[in-house]
Amino acid sequence: MWPAPAARPVCAACVTAAFSLLATRAAVAQATGNVDVAVSTVRYDGFLPSGAASLTPAVSWERPGATITARGTYLRFESGRRSLHGILAASVLTPRPLLPAPWRGELTVSSGGSSYASFASFWHATGEIRLHYLAEGRGVWVGGTGGRTSYGRSPRPVAVAALGAWSRRATLTVGASASRSFVGDTAYTDLTSRMHIVRGTVAVDASVGDRMSSRGGGHGVFGDGSVTLTLGERTAIFLSGGRYPTDAISGTVSGRYLSAGIRLRTVTPRPVLRAVPTPTQRSPANGDGDDPAAARLDAQRTPDGSVRLVVVAPAAATVELAGDFTDWQPVQLRRNAAGTWETVRKIPSGVYRFNVRIDGSGWFAPAGTARATDDFGGEVGIITVP
Amino acid sequence: MRGSPWSGAACLLAATLVTGTMAAQQIDPRLDRLDAVTRSIVGALVDSAVAAALPTEPLIQRALEGATKRATGEVIVAAVRRLAQDLAHARDALGGTASPGELTAGAAALRAGASPAFLTELRRTRREPLIVPLAVLTDLVASGVPVDSAAHAVVALASRTRDADLIEFRRAVERDIALGAPPAAATAAAAGLTAQSVDVNAGARQQRPGRP
Repeated sequence: MWPAPAARPVCAACVTAAFSLLATRAAVAQATGNVDVAVSTVRYDGFLPSGAASLTPAVSWERPGATITARGTYLRFESGRRSLHGILAASVLTPRPLLPAPWRGELTVSSGGSSYASFASFWHATGEIRLHYLAEGRGVWVGGTGGRTSYGRSPRPVAVAALGAWSRRATLTVGASASRSFVGDTAYTDLTSRMHIVRGTVAVDASVGDRMSSRGGGHGVFGDGSVTLTLGERTAIFLSGGRYPTDAISGTVSGRYLSAGIRLRTVTPRPVLRAVPTPTQRSPANGDGDDPAAARLDAQRTPDGSVRLVVVAPAAATVELAGDFTDWQPVQLRRNAAGTWETVRKIPSGVYRFNVRIDGSGWFAPAGTARATDDFGGEVGIITVP
Repeated sequence: MRGSPWSGAACLLAATLVTGTMAAQQIDPRLDRLDAVTRSIVGALVDSAVAAALPTEPLIQRALEGATKRATGEVIVAAVRRLAQDLAHARDALGGTASPGELTAGAAALRAGASPAFLTELRRTRREPLIVPLAVLTDLVASGVPVDSAAHAVVALASRTRDADLIEFRRAVERDIALGAPPAAATAAAAGLTAQSVDVNAGARQQRPGRP
């Protein structure tokens, strides 16, 4: 049943195009998979509530700048009827030279289908282009989507214009978006905000939104949330629930739900040296400054073999650096034009740890270099001199 | 009056022993920034490293880092001891011919989560120094790339890639990750450790529990 026959050529084209784009750097690719097994109570608008059991396998193939995701859901309601959903999506970020920093483009193609019992089926195929403006820990984007969707009759055109913004601080990410969708004769505007936070083994997602200016798409406030608790390397449990609006593109009917289930992973990463850094002190590197580019370090090899270490800290009065190459004695950097501070040092080949201090405050690891947790309750920057 | 040859040899031996003992007891003057007890223990750890043919400079620098960050003596000693153990494990994995820089980078890689087998494999596949490949691995893991994926990529590239290319590779990966690229997102979603992106990459969504 999935995807609908008319969508299969689109799926094939998506996969072919995506793999051709990704093939050159497959060395850093990884494949992950998980299966969610859940029980739910769901009440689609206009229908009686029903219990349901679901099986949701998902696989993704990913590398920096691109991803392909396939996800399916098999639902069996207490009435005995079955529902199938499936989606295949591929996303590619534009290569760096194509757009000047901090701009970045993204192309996403998506195709999928759904069927309920034996009488209702959807399929859709869409493409989305986004233009991102990215800064340290935050960004805004504007995008447009076009494509086709069908509900047992001639395909209807899809057009969506959207813009959004997001910000990340430590383990908290928040975002908001606004979109205007046109699906055939249906039109609606969604304002949505969402957040994601991780605390240890617990991840919390929540969203709230409002549908307005609607013609055939329903209206009102919607929102849902989920809590995922990681139990082990390959297992997590989750609880989720809320209300979601009709999605005229994928054929999802609005409804309320409450689900509890278990997630089984097929690939689990080892613990990372650094999660998102937990700010241990106030500093521009932790996003406390007005300028997100502040306290960024750049290392350059000079013609005579020395290393020039440049810290961008426009608002600083003093900038000091200490590391393995200074015997951890603070070295005051010399101020240059345009708010940069520098020191030039003879540093042999190797891997070195260092920190920066601005205006006599705490030591921190500046942006622009790898960071690791140190052994002293903070972070340390790591620089490699080849 | 000339002494016997045996007495001369005995004097030389005694002088050697005294000099050796003094050298062993002489603590690096840079460690004077530590309190007396901590300096003594760190000095002993450094001596042990010398005896085990491990590099001592990383140990001294780790102690100095702790002093600069005003860590307690207990914490400093624990950090130095842990690093010494990591250096020993790195030497076991990389072999006795590993340079001090390689051992330091190897210790950091092991601390990041790389397996000793990875270090051994890297040594087998690359003839050039391993400092940069090991550092690239550590940086990638620190950026959120799962260590298995990072290790696989580094091993695959290390046998045929120059240091400069490896560094550029690392920059490219980290840049994409910083922009919300999938490896970090996958790491965050799967391990529940962090959120590298929510909305930057539209195709990386759908990691939260699905709706019925």
